[in-house]
Amino acid sequence: MLSVRDLTVSVGPETAPVDIVAGVSFDLAKGEILGLVGESGCGKSMTSLAVMGLLPQPGPRVRAGRVLLEGSDVTQLQPWQRVEAGHGRMAMIFQEPMTSLNPVRRIGDQIAEAVRVHEGISGAAALSRARELLELVRMPDPGMQLSAYPHQLSGGQRQRVMIAIALACRPQVLVADEPTTALDVTIQVQILGLLRELCNRLDMAVLFITHDMGVIAQLADRVSVMYAGRIVETAAVDALFGEPRHHYTRGLMDCMPSRNSGVRRLPTISGQPPVPGTVAAGCVFALRCAAVHDECRVAAPPRLEASQGHEVLCAFPLAGGELP
Amino acid sequence: MSGDVILDVREMMVSFSARRAGRKYRVQAVDGVSLSLAQGEVLGIVGESGCGKTTVGRTIVGLVQPGSGTIKFKGTEMIGAGSSSLRAMRLNVRMVFQDPNASLNPRRTIGDSVAEAGDISGFFKSRAERSAAIAATLTGVGLNPSFATRYPYELSGGQRQRVGIARAILPTPSIVIADEPVSALDVSVQAQVLNLMMDLRDQLRLSMLFISHDLGVIGQISSRVAVMYMGRVVEQAGTRTVLEHPLHPYTRALVAAIPKPDPSKRILGAIETGEPPSLFTRPHGCAYAPRCPIASDRCLVDVPTLRSVGTDGRTIACHNV
Ligand SMILES: Nc1ncnc2c1ncn2[C@@H]1O[C@H](COP(=O)(O)OP(=O)(O)O)[C@@H](O)[C@H]1O
Ligand SMILES: Nc1ncnc2c1ncn2[C@@H]1O[C@H](COP(=O)(O)OP(=O)(O)O)[C@@H](O)[C@H]1O
Ligand code: SF4
Ligand SMILES: [Mg+2]
Ligand SMILES: [Mg+2]
Repeated sequence: MLSVRDLTVSVGPETAPVDIVAGVSFDLAKGEILGLVGESGCGKSMTSLAVMGLLPQPGPRVRAGRVLLEGSDVTQLQPWQRVEAGHGRMAMIFQEPMTSLNPVRRIGDQIAEAVRVHEGISGAAALSRARELLELVRMPDPGMQLSAYPHQLSGGQRQRVMIAIALACRPQVLVADEPTTALDVTIQVQILGLLRELCNRLDMAVLFITHDMGVIAQLADRVSVMYAGRIVETAAVDALFGEPRHHYTRGLMDCMPSRNSGVRRLPTISGQPPVPGTVAAGCVFALRCAAVHDECRVAAPPRLEASQGHEVLCAFPLAGGELP
Repeated sequence: MSGDVILDVREMMVSFSARRAGRKYRVQAVDGVSLSLAQGEVLGIVGESGCGKTTVGRTIVGLVQPGSGTIKFKGTEMIGAGSSSLRAMRLNVRMVFQDPNASLNPRRTIGDSVAEAGDISGFFKSRAERSAAIAATLTGVGLNPSFATRYPYELSGGQRQRVGIARAILPTPSIVIADEPVSALDVSVQAQVLNLMMDLRDQLRLSMLFISHDLGVIGQISSRVAVMYMGRVVEQAGTRTVLEHPLHPYTRALVAAIPKPDPSKRILGAIETGEPPSLFTRPHGCAYAPRCPIASDRCLVDVPTLRSVGTDGRTIACHNV
């Protein structure tokens, strides 16, 4: 459904570009949830915006690589241009629904507006479709909520509204950038459950972005781990958690408090991620890697296939079967 | 609980006035919270956003005035206390805030921020002593002493939170109230800062109130935990007990909803957690009743109060467990 190839997003002057996303590739199939996970600043949002054709202007730009939607190159097209050119539909949801919702318009009207744009229907027909969408996202009391204003809704309900608006275009690909990060765990579990249900029911492809390995384990079918603008490991979710091959992936899992109950000290990854453009050569993780070799500091690491569908960007990957 | 209780809060009530749809309301943010903290103990406070955790912490350090209740520090009542006992308490009970960016003055050097409480109280006897104390404290939180002359914008998030901790522990307090101190940090940095806080707890024998919405983090650092819902404590027990055998229906939902980092233990679609409450419409009986899977008629009328259950000092406010 969606193929991203060597996507590189850069900032700074043309003559001396700094790559904040450096050669990212992944595939996303119908009915599949791909989790993209990494710590803040690693380039998750820039990747998702570039995939959507929504990079902020002026600023970061796609310097190289391609975004293919059902085989068509849509790299330089914005979402509506893609639809006009008949390339298929993508929609996106974000962490903070309040920044995308109009505070003084009823949510029914806001969803109906999205319906009008995408389906060319208006008035009562659009409003009735809006109600259907609210039912689809399992909004409690959907009929009543059509006339509510955003501030009258809870954070979880607002995220449901955003999902309803995203679904108005009947997307084949939904990009979700940390949609549950601002929610309590009790509400997060509902929204994650909803996304899984919608993915299955609508046979939608979902690119789900988060910094939380727990969320990934609960939701994703496959996972790509990002570090300093690169995908350092990709695997099916069971393989990733069962046999992580990249030292960063392993480190991320090890330092989670919930994997260390009763332990006196938490394992840590020393230092912090590099500022984009400051690692001149070698592996971007070399500075923090406990297993670093001299070679890692000078030569870019290879992308190895550890097992079928399990790729790792490392010259000295972990052996399989290391976690309990 | 041991005999040397250092902080004792009884029946704390805090309300705010709030506006909604043009009308003025009083919102009961804290509705009769009692807590006590022993010397060297870390008590966690957990609950969904808006349940009153921050207000409890800010009221203890005197940033918010309670409507009623008592707050005893080493046996001395702090509400309405004279300025000298308040000053002593301000040095002894210090707060670490969630957002290190918002809590550090961008125009002051790190050293000046770290020394602020000492400067105000006349703690330092000389410039040299002050510089030495700043350097020692920065070293103690894992920062190079040369950071003293730098400004917040030059630091990473994790480094800023270390500064936030440094300014809370100089001069060495008895109690640190940490309000979501690692919530804004990435996991790898979060682990570093949590380790630091555990080291300081042990080295300085600090008592801590550790506020967090993350039970995983609380489980790491605190020995006991109080679970709050709509301004009240609904369950309090040893942390392991709460995590492994939560009893209150709300605690059970909170624990069940933690996204476990194990794809073989998936919970999506398998647990019911209900809609979060609004403080504007407080139910009559148990505040949790609208979301509670085991609510009975009595729950809609009577407010459950905390009572002891089992051995390890567990208390629960629920009619049906
Ligand atoms: N408009 C911009 N100009 C320059 N650098 C930017 C801009 N926006 C983001 N960045 C940088 O790009 C990197 C990736 O950012 P982002 O994609 O937002 O990370 P994530 O979503 O993983 O937290 C960061 O180092 C960030 O500082
Ligand atoms: N200064 C204030 N003015 C008005 N309402 C407040 C104020 N501080 C907190 N509240 C309200 O009190 C309730 C509890 O807030 P808070 O203590 O911040 O909860 P938590 O830290 O658990 O998220 C919330 O409904 C919040 O909106
Ligand atoms: S008192 Fe009743 S409603 Fe409240 S938690 Fe217990 S069973 Fe549920
Ligand atoms: Mg982001
Ligand atoms: Mg708070």
